[in-house]
Amino acid sequence: MEEAKPKAGLLASIKHVYEHKYKLLMLITIGIVILSIGVLAYQKATTGEFVKKDVSLKGGLVITIKTDQEFNVDTLQAQLASSLGVSVDVKSLSALAGQRIGYTIEVEKLGQDKVKAEVERLTGVPSATYTIEESSSSLSESFFKSVVKALFAAFIFMSIVVFIYFRAPAPSAAVIMAAFSDLIGTIAVMQLLNIKLSSAGVAALLMLIGYSVDTDILLSTRVLKGTRSTMEEIYSSLKTGLTMQTTAIAALAVLYIVAPAATLRQISVILIIGLIFDALNTWIQNVGILRMYLEWKKK
Amino acid sequence: MGKLKEIFTSWRVWLLILMILASYAAINPKFTSDGLIISQVDFNSSAYINSVPNNVKLTEFNGKSVSLLQDYDALAAAVKPGDLVKITAQRRLFAFHAAEKDNQTYLGIAVEQAPTSNLKKGLDLAGGVRVLLKPKEAVSSEQFADLVDITQKRLNVFGLKDISVKQVSDFGGNKFLLVEMAGTTQQEAIKLISQQGKFEAKIGNESVFLGSDIKQVSRSVQQGAGVYKCGQDKSWACNFRFPVTITPEAAKRHAEITSKIPIASGSVGQDSYLEKKLDLFVDDELVDSLYISSSLKGQETTEFSIQGSGTGGTRDAAFSTALDNMKRLQTILITGSLPVKLQIEKIDVISPALGSEFLRTAIIALLAAVVVVGVIIAIRYRKPHIAIPIMLTSLSEVFIVFGIAALIKQNIDLAAIAGVLATVGTGVDAQLVITDEVLEFGSQFSHDWKEKLKRALFIIMGSYATVVAAMLPLLLIGAGLLKGFAIVTIIGASIGVFVTRPAYARIIEVLLK
Repeated sequence: MEEAKPKAGLLASIKHVYEHKYKLLMLITIGIVILSIGVLAYQKATTGEFVKKDVSLKGGLVITIKTDQEFNVDTLQAQLASSLGVSVDVKSLSALAGQRIGYTIEVEKLGQDKVKAEVERLTGVPSATYTIEESSSSLSESFFKSVVKALFAAFIFMSIVVFIYFRAPAPSAAVIMAAFSDLIGTIAVMQLLNIKLSSAGVAALLMLIGYSVDTDILLSTRVLKGTRSTMEEIYSSLKTGLTMQTTAIAALAVLYIVAPAATLRQISVILIIGLIFDALNTWIQNVGILRMYLEWKKK
Repeated sequence: MGKLKEIFTSWRVWLLILMILASYAAINPKFTSDGLIISQVDFNSSAYINSVPNNVKLTEFNGKSVSLLQDYDALAAAVKPGDLVKITAQRRLFAFHAAEKDNQTYLGIAVEQAPTSNLKKGLDLAGGVRVLLKPKEAVSSEQFADLVDITQKRLNVFGLKDISVKQVSDFGGNKFLLVEMAGTTQQEAIKLISQQGKFEAKIGNESVFLGSDIKQVSRSVQQGAGVYKCGQDKSWACNFRFPVTITPEAAKRHAEITSKIPIASGSVGQDSYLEKKLDLFVDDELVDSLYISSSLKGQETTEFSIQGSGTGGTRDAAFSTALDNMKRLQTILITGSLPVKLQIEKIDVISPALGSEFLRTAIIALLAAVVVVGVIIAIRYRKPHIAIPIMLTSLSEVFIVFGIAALIKQNIDLAAIAGVLATVGTGVDAQLVITDEVLEFGSQFSHDWKEKLKRALFIIMGSYATVVAAMLPLLLIGAGLLKGFAIVTIIGASIGVFVTRPAYARIIEVLLK
């Protein structure tokens, strides 16, 4: 490859680093993966669990009330906690442009009747209108185990498909590693942002596997099967791939802003985090591995 | 004009159009609701006893024709307890009395606007109750089938609408009973399904008859069933009774056992009774003890009156508890006991108000997302005639997914909407791949469509295969709760790959030529 002299301008220098220091750049993504594993290990060491789970995966009670009244979330939380004698998590629920829809109240280990009565007493919203989700901890535990197995199984199925598809170990491994880095990074950021994983979040993580592989397959196909130079193919993939990632992130951001349903919010926030990681892991890590593989093949 | 003609001569475009039309037929959307339907008739209510049918069109209420829910609500609000209500349903006239429950007029029927399409909203959008139960001991598959069967029957007898009872299992091989029902005030129903319902009538330690010995249960007031006596001690208590018929074998047993029991001392004449009582047990818990009239001593009687009670803070509360207890006991006796005990693992009660808010915002979000994607694409390519087909393709994809959902009766819940979103996302991704391939290589290769888009198809098929692979495990896990998401995503991805993508490829190829 001819040695291009760095041109003036930020874009040119970015381009220069991207083209020539790609092995160095890979340290960023490797660093992120190591950091992410560190975050999860720390979490495990301090709380006994790798991930923070919400009521749907841990067991407990969530009450959602629909009201346009204003309550101070912290005050309501403190009042409920003191009268019920357990820790309570209150969140406000709003739609488009902050329009009040209601509140969600999360309580672990308590029957619904007592909590319902307390919430009704404090808010005045009749308990017959509440949405109540209650799961036993044993069910949630077995559900969570199932979910972890499903994630592993999905990952393995996806890996098999990728291997069959490319029939070359290194490019296939690159695709799978990108998906792995996306997942682990996303789960770590969820812990840092205190996002508790719900059963809907699991669906989002599975979707992330699918989305993550999309851009990687695009890149690998173009680079391995293309007729132009590797860098040209990488840039053309970058153009298509970044459009894909931008549209997806934008669509999910709209969903996050518009939809008050916790299910949809969790799905959108997880996928947004995941797709940001995917941009890094596709265009730095996967590109790096592919280029190293092609160089090795040339020798 | 030539381009338009070229687009519409492609069978791929026609396949898409055909699928859209078929989906329209499957969803069958109506822009105005087609009148009212009676969606529920409460068991043992006056309406029930006067055989008001369920799930039929309601056309007249107290002599006035009704087709809108607000009109019905206004008419129903004018009814006072004790009033005679006349309705016309299915062109037949029915009359029943309004009662009082929880200080409000109680008609015993629920009326809804007739659905405007064949799409069925899932529990988290329509509101309702979901209960997940686990057998307390290992069960065979025949026993599980019985569990499903009996639970279904119990809820039907109870008079509930839109019930779904099925077996679900998780990765660990645990089997669960998943019960879903519309409406949120179903505390009684939850009690009903979690109760094993083992009934036994005993005198002393001797069993006289079991639930299975009961041949017939009378449920109407005319047959002598009902709440008949209320009294106040500290709190209010009301008694109920209803007649049952037992088998001759059980009657013989009754005769043998009672013949040995002496008449209680101090009781004489018509009011005399035996020393021991008839104890009624449900799930080994004593429900009531009944005096046995001395006239029954040694008699092979097949007619019995089952009694029980209900308590409450007020007379009305006690009355309705007694009525609920009676309904539950009758239902249990009619449907028989469950082969094993069940334990409630999860109860979700979803308010319909919140659900409709979620649905409304989810639809807005979905449409807004498609528009935002369109704008980004228009900016990226600086050509609106690329953005528009992409948006239209995505929308038609959503429509077809809903069409198939209506066809296979897949409920649309939040998870399914997330699946639709995933579909749109991967769909747009694939369309971008096609667009870029056509833009970059359109002029370089042969004019053969397949040749030109070979690479694009390779990429798209790869993505498709991985999405399906990633969704497969979800079809199996989670006691079925995320199944809807996986099903919809797989349907959506398949529609994308086999129907909308080929059509889009043809359209974009012609447009960019």
